[in-house]
Amino acid sequence: MCGITGYIGTDETGKIVHQGLQNLEYRGYDSAGIALNGTNLTVHKTEGEVGDLPVPAGDDVVCGIGHTRWSTHGEPTEENAHPHTDCTGEVAVVHNGIVENYDDLKAELHGDHVFRSDTDTEVIPHLVEDHLAEDVSLLTAVQRATSRLEGSFAVAVTAAGHDGIIVARQDSPLLLGHGDGETFIGSDATAFIEHTDRVTYLENGDIAHVTKQGVDIFNDGERVERTTETLDWDADAAGKSGYDHYMLKEIHEQPRALRQAISGRIDDLATNVDLTLDLPDEYLQSVEEVQIVACGTSYHAGLFAKELLEAKADVRVTVHVASEYDFRGGRDPWRTLVVAITQSGETADTLSALREASQAGTRTLALTNTLGSTVTREADDTVFIRAGPEIGVAATKTFVSQVATAALFSVYLGRVRNEMTTETATDLLESLRDLPGAVQQVLDREAKIRETAREYADSDAFFYVGRRAGYPVALESALKLKEISYDHAEGFAAGELKHGPLALVTDDTPVIALLTSETARKKTLNNVKEVKSRGAPVIGVASDPDATTHVDATFDVPDCGAMEPVVANVALQLFAYHVADEKGRPIDKPRNLAKSVTVE
Amino acid sequence: MQAVVLAAGKGERLWPLTENRPKPMIPVANRPLLEHIVDALVDAGVDEIILVVGSNRERVQRHFENGDAWNVDIDYVVQDPQLGTGHALLQAERQVGESFVALNGDRIIDASLVEDVWARHEETGDPAMGVTQVEQPSQYGVVELDGETVIDIEEQPIPELAASKFINAGVYAFDPSIFAAIRRTESYGEQALTDTLSEELDDQQIRAVRYRGRWLDVSEPWDLLAVNSALIDGRSPQHRESATIADSAVVTDNTVIGDGVVVHPNATILGGVTLGDNVSVGAGAVVKNAILLSDCTIESGAIMTDCIVGANASLGPNTTVEGGTADVVLDDTVYRDVRFGGLTGDNVDVGANVTVAPGAIVGNDATVDSGTLVAGRIDDGSHVTRG
Repeated sequence: MCGITGYIGTDETGKIVHQGLQNLEYRGYDSAGIALNGTNLTVHKTEGEVGDLPVPAGDDVVCGIGHTRWSTHGEPTEENAHPHTDCTGEVAVVHNGIVENYDDLKAELHGDHVFRSDTDTEVIPHLVEDHLAEDVSLLTAVQRATSRLEGSFAVAVTAAGHDGIIVARQDSPLLLGHGDGETFIGSDATAFIEHTDRVTYLENGDIAHVTKQGVDIFNDGERVERTTETLDWDADAAGKSGYDHYMLKEIHEQPRALRQAISGRIDDLATNVDLTLDLPDEYLQSVEEVQIVACGTSYHAGLFAKELLEAKADVRVTVHVASEYDFRGGRDPWRTLVVAITQSGETADTLSALREASQAGTRTLALTNTLGSTVTREADDTVFIRAGPEIGVAATKTFVSQVATAALFSVYLGRVRNEMTTETATDLLESLRDLPGAVQQVLDREAKIRETAREYADSDAFFYVGRRAGYPVALESALKLKEISYDHAEGFAAGELKHGPLALVTDDTPVIALLTSETARKKTLNNVKEVKSRGAPVIGVASDPDATTHVDATFDVPDCGAMEPVVANVALQLFAYHVADEKGRPIDKPRNLAKSVTVE
Repeated sequence: MQAVVLAAGKGERLWPLTENRPKPMIPVANRPLLEHIVDALVDAGVDEIILVVGSNRERVQRHFENGDAWNVDIDYVVQDPQLGTGHALLQAERQVGESFVALNGDRIIDASLVEDVWARHEETGDPAMGVTQVEQPSQYGVVELDGETVIDIEEQPIPELAASKFINAGVYAFDPSIFAAIRRTESYGEQALTDTLSEELDDQQIRAVRYRGRWLDVSEPWDLLAVNSALIDGRSPQHRESATIADSAVVTDNTVIGDGVVVHPNATILGGVTLGDNVSVGAGAVVKNAILLSDCTIESGAIMTDCIVGANASLGPNTTVEGGTADVVLDDTVYRDVRFGGLTGDNVDVGANVTVAPGAIVGNDATVDSGTLVAGRIDDGSHVTRG
């Protein structure tokens, strides 16, 4: 959602913090600001993109903090942009998360303090101001101020006349990057990855004093040591490498991402999968139900995973939108495995569902892309999807990697539970091996997809239909289009069309039909005829030419067994991309959207 | 030091591999030709590389990204349409500050060549050009020398008229005045860099830098096998940890094995073989002196000798690429007695018990039915049936 960055060191602080904000812009970008602490404290803010904010400079600047905002409380205006300051203008605060008791705190502070914004954050600098008046160090003042806050936060505070930056976290991600005589602060590593890959993740309740000399971390009044890890991401995230958009770059990275996802995990000779899980076999054998919790694209990956787990591994699966999740319904928590799917590992709704499940007594497994993220610490066990950094707000390679990793998990679970035959496992593993090459073939056919996208770009609405594994792909493909082209796009279970949505179909609403293997396509073809007879143009996605004799346009995909719907998804990612590109949309920064949503 | 690398080349004679990727992205020893060149540039002290890319440029961009993995800054400029090497270099004009080196993206060289050409340019202020000796200079730009100075450049002369054994090694150092010179050169359609250089010879001294090191050119498909073998010979086997090799399989030295490769029981991988990422070699299959691009599947009992298999291709059980020598026709030229078992393109699907005659070239996406004999040239997307 919002992004925090900060810097203390010998380089040009204003420039580094500004660059950090640009790196973080994908997390949200309706306003931005920077505070520099030197001879005095200066604050520079703007409404709109980071690019609208000039690179700030000050006198003898020692350190700086910055913020890029995606509004939750208060409109996107310059007043509401962070950093927020106290009445004296000497304390500057940037904050991610939500202060749930801000109404109470604001009421309490109101007599003595003047509030200039509508944000929840502004209570923090005023609280710090009050505590500084007690003549304590900035560290103590921030510690006392944050102890008053309810809700989630990651904050960075700097104040005139005080040394360095104080950072604190509770349920919102925050990490420190260690350079040579310099320290970086970021809500995720993207903020500073081009400078250093040595990082320390702060834990809940940590408060740290960052100075030129280094970092001192405290928790609950005690000094603590946190480990320094080396990220295995390279700084590729820092550039588009000649692509027009990160999204297109990431679409093209999918064959490699998929090879990484499966690399070293398939034991072809034993027809099994090794995910280095600690969950005991006996437990997995006793599980009666797998509950998947996820949001957005990850939720669609969850629906796909359900198809695989139920059809191939014969285990009961329910998939829950994380924000709607409750552990209930008379389930036995000891026989329920909850799988949280989140790209960032920081999705607040998913983490909240995971905690709910954990409290109920279930075991939990995370499927994520992000090493060291909150979900990896909170879940009992983690499987990484290994997709590498994803910058485009519209998830592409992480979806296919999530599905591929879920397919590996379904083989693992099916084999452990003795519910998957060698034949089924061989077929599924073969289709996984075929997947990177098949995706590459779709990428090689991009020109044709672009042509079709241009032809249909100006349609009134787009409907995606599919059955079985084709249904989650229809949902995901529709989501992709609406995210980046702002067109009305909906995914439907193909059989549901006639129960209502058919009323929306006209000759200006193309229907995109998933007709690959594993999608019960003979039945879907009947639905294709329904929409054809209402005059709608139909775009079919299939490997078998016989499936597409009645359609107006075809995206051929290579034969890829159970993974074929994933290949179809790649074709439809390109379709969405080129429709949006034709309309000149800001594809990497769609309006109102943020990459990972760290508020509930 | 800045380097401009011309990486937009099509390489028609390497069809069908160049349909889906530019020639510099064809892999040998599991790394694209261009990566070997990037390595040499980095070793020579280049800190910024401008890649001139054209069709299928996504392949280049996603492999090299911004160059961080090679500790070098990589930027891209697009040449579209592709109108020759001079035109390609012009595209980089706005990215180039001062003097720079320029080179072709498809010939493997040592860092010393770049260093020497650069040093000569720095010393003299004149354009400098690497020259090297080859057995058959008439296939290349033959350079006539007077000591260390270029007198004449003749592109592909008749062998009898070749003025020397020295050829243009395709590595240059220029200052930005080269761009004006390229624009001055009259051209009809294609704008070749060597045309500009030949014209400039009248009033501009061009320095020649003699080079005796590694100069590996890939013009015809069988060159790939020779270059692959030259790059892996005598080195310890390079096998990625994520590869799975059955205990009973035999994998000799002088082999390169990519990520996630599986070699099934009793398969034999002999010298001069490169297996790309995610390749699967079936039980009892034999692979010898061959390049298999990523995502290929070789089924049980297949025999692959002296051949190149495109990405994501599948070869059925007991299919045999027998290997050995053949007469091959490429671009209306007959090449006699070349050791070349064959080349199958990307996504080719070959059934069981197919015999591939030496010298066969099968286009991308072709399907070959079980039990057939494949020889000569098969077009993209063809379906070879029995009977």
